[in-house]
Amino acid sequence: MLLLMLSYLGLAVFIVVVLGKIIKYLRMPLHVRWELYPVPHEKGREYGGSYFEELNWWEKPIKRSSLSQIKFMIPEILFVRALYHDNRKLWYVSFPFHFGIYMVIGCLGLLFIGAIANIAGLSPQSAIPVLLQSLAIIFGAIGLILGTIGAIGLLLRRTFDKDLRAFAAPIDYFNLVFILAIFLTGLIAWFSYDSGLTVSRDYMKGLITFSPVVVGGSSLVAHIILLSLFIMYLPFTHMTHFIGKYFTWHEVRWDDRINTRGSTIEAKVNKLLNVKQSWSAPHMKPGKTWAETATEEVE
Amino acid sequence: MKAGKIRLKDIGKPSDQMVQLNPADFMRLPYPYDKADSDPDFKQLTEAQKNKYEASLDGVLAISIPKPETKAEEEELVRKFLSGLEKLLTKENNWTFLQPLTLSLEYCAKCQTCNEACPIYIGSGKQEIYRPTYRSEVLRAIVNKYIKKGGKTFAKFSGNDIDLNWTTVARLAELAYRCTLCRRCAQTCPIGVDNGLITHELRKVFSQEMGIAPVEIHTLGSMKHLKAGSSTGLTPVALMDTIEFLEDDIKDRTGLDIKFPMDKEGADILLIHNAGEFLSWPENPMAFAIIFEAAGLNWTLSSDLLGYDAVNYGLWYDDVQFARVAVRHAQIAKKLGVKKIVIGECGHAHKAISVIADRIINGEINIPRESSMTLLEDLVCKGKLNLDPKRNDFPVTLHDPCNMVRLMGVVEPQRRVVRKICPQFREMEPHGVKNYCCGGGSGFAIMPSMNFPDWRTRISGRMKFKQILDAFQDVIDPGIKKMVCAPCSNCKGAIREIFNHYDAWEKCGIAYTGLVEFIVNAMVDIKEPYIEWPEM
Repeated sequence: MLLLMLSYLGLAVFIVVVLGKIIKYLRMPLHVRWELYPVPHEKGREYGGSYFEELNWWEKPIKRSSLSQIKFMIPEILFVRALYHDNRKLWYVSFPFHFGIYMVIGCLGLLFIGAIANIAGLSPQSAIPVLLQSLAIIFGAIGLILGTIGAIGLLLRRTFDKDLRAFAAPIDYFNLVFILAIFLTGLIAWFSYDSGLTVSRDYMKGLITFSPVVVGGSSLVAHIILLSLFIMYLPFTHMTHFIGKYFTWHEVRWDDRINTRGSTIEAKVNKLLNVKQSWSAPHMKPGKTWAETATEEVE
Repeated sequence: MKAGKIRLKDIGKPSDQMVQLNPADFMRLPYPYDKADSDPDFKQLTEAQKNKYEASLDGVLAISIPKPETKAEEEELVRKFLSGLEKLLTKENNWTFLQPLTLSLEYCAKCQTCNEACPIYIGSGKQEIYRPTYRSEVLRAIVNKYIKKGGKTFAKFSGNDIDLNWTTVARLAELAYRCTLCRRCAQTCPIGVDNGLITHELRKVFSQEMGIAPVEIHTLGSMKHLKAGSSTGLTPVALMDTIEFLEDDIKDRTGLDIKFPMDKEGADILLIHNAGEFLSWPENPMAFAIIFEAAGLNWTLSSDLLGYDAVNYGLWYDDVQFARVAVRHAQIAKKLGVKKIVIGECGHAHKAISVIADRIINGEINIPRESSMTLLEDLVCKGKLNLDPKRNDFPVTLHDPCNMVRLMGVVEPQRRVVRKICPQFREMEPHGVKNYCCGGGSGFAIMPSMNFPDWRTRISGRMKFKQILDAFQDVIDPGIKKMVCAPCSNCKGAIREIFNHYDAWEKCGIAYTGLVEFIVNAMVDIKEPYIEWPEM
């Protein structure tokens, strides 16, 4: 039961803090435009062009393509394309690390669905649960192996690459060792105790039904403890860049929305221009609104 | 201290100089500058300058902070820096950039991918302090340790082991002016962290809270712009004299009788140049006038205060100064009742009024803004001008101003023009949105004091010079005249200084000019060549 409680606590902290972060970014004020080209939703301008290339651009419909954006993002997320192009040395270890994590998440998702199917009354021996369980084993095995290789690789790079070492802090090694320990315990548990992932699926079922599960293997217990602690810790670190990346790309790099008359952007800008600022350099006017500061005569 | 041994916390440890710049370490240049003696010693500050100003970062002065005389002065600088930093992280004082800044402060994975993208880091021979990440990590550590609650508790473990003292702040102020804000680093970041933005925000703390900025950018720049009408000092009266001179010069050079339309209400186009063109490259506004008149456009210039100078230096260091200039530009367009503002050949003015000001100028002053590149493409490529490309039959390459290209997406129009009228056009590599900065970005082109120009020409402009030389290696013989097309006033200024320093014309036959000069040079109705080559 203690194990279950720890997992619930980890999940609860993870969800609350991650949601808190997302809300924090969403509630931040509209910022000025700061895009960086190429912007993939610019249809037909893959070389990095924008609607500013059109004569009288404001008189023409702007051709945007969500599909181009998706086509850009999928290899970026799945294969860490930016690193592949600009830092191949690091990609060799970063790609297996990240892809390993995706596969493990996929494995957990499949176990979750398998557990739901089981709760719904489907026999574990029937076709669909067998398929789900087989896929979970494949995802899990590949994920744990790739993740372990990636985590070791990242640790070695962080230690021996002089560029990375120059900026490495104890916390960076701690994070990598933590993740490596999760992968390793998972790998050991799979090899030595739960090669069919049936105990893991039962644990998932226990989590869903709030019923204690006996986990016999010490490696699996260690794995569950470490994973629960990690998901509790993760939201407080820069490793939540899966959230940050959405905002840095969609809300900053690619935010080319135009301020037109009567638009919501115009209304937001009006509101922000009437906020009082307090900058205190000699050429500033602390206590005045942005609009007043921008329009009054300078001294 | 030697390169490679510098750590984050070293920025706060007093020493004579963190980094000694030695030309032997700099990135090698191609032929004919590939010999070790092609780069003379770096220009050193005098002892008097070193004694007076804080120059212990790298022995270069961009902003020249006087050394403190008392402990109280030291403490005051640190106090104000922290107060500014706190304001930078509030909605009221920094709604303009709060979300992008917060994201960039919170998510760097320290993978160092961005370093290889930085022309200054590479050009300098990989000096530690010029890494795009060094400055950002220092700021991040200060925010985490001194602004966030409980930040001192695990500072060492978390990598925030830094001392905030006078040395840290004064060096950081200088370091904020060792980046051209080209944002090439941000383009390569797998997470989307933007070290250029962090530099921009750091400059804002110094300017908006502490009144610290390079004198050429603030006092002689944006303040002069707001008070006198132009950062060049050109007043409305002096402008009218200059225009008269330009009209006479057009007559002398082309035989054309052209009157610049001034303050014409209801014109379709308000054309705003970087006023530096009137003084340093008058052939550029003249060429615009020749082209616009030949195409029969309904256009005007403004002689209103600020209306004839498109620059907006606030873009580089101060949001309030930025807003002041942007609003005045828009108000002038509104007053004249024009249909659109067209921005002349000035990269940062393009981005300032088209992109950044889009969420500053609101309501009735929100007049459409357009790049002159787009308009020129329409005139050239749709046959609205009678042009003969053979008149430009010499090797030409094109420089991409960062603000216009990577940061605004105006990439192809100027290329289509050059491809159409320059038979020997060749691209630099890389180009387009992957281009390298001219080295004069973010104000550097207009900062001539102390030994900063030597740093700009030798380090921040080094990669651009290498690109230009590489593009012309097959015709590098000085007997073959060749031209760099740089459609940006500040870029031309930076390239001019690089070419002068290395005698690029004498040794390689390379000169530079803007885009419109090529168009007029190709105009069939103009008998004499419009492009003038430097004298040998």
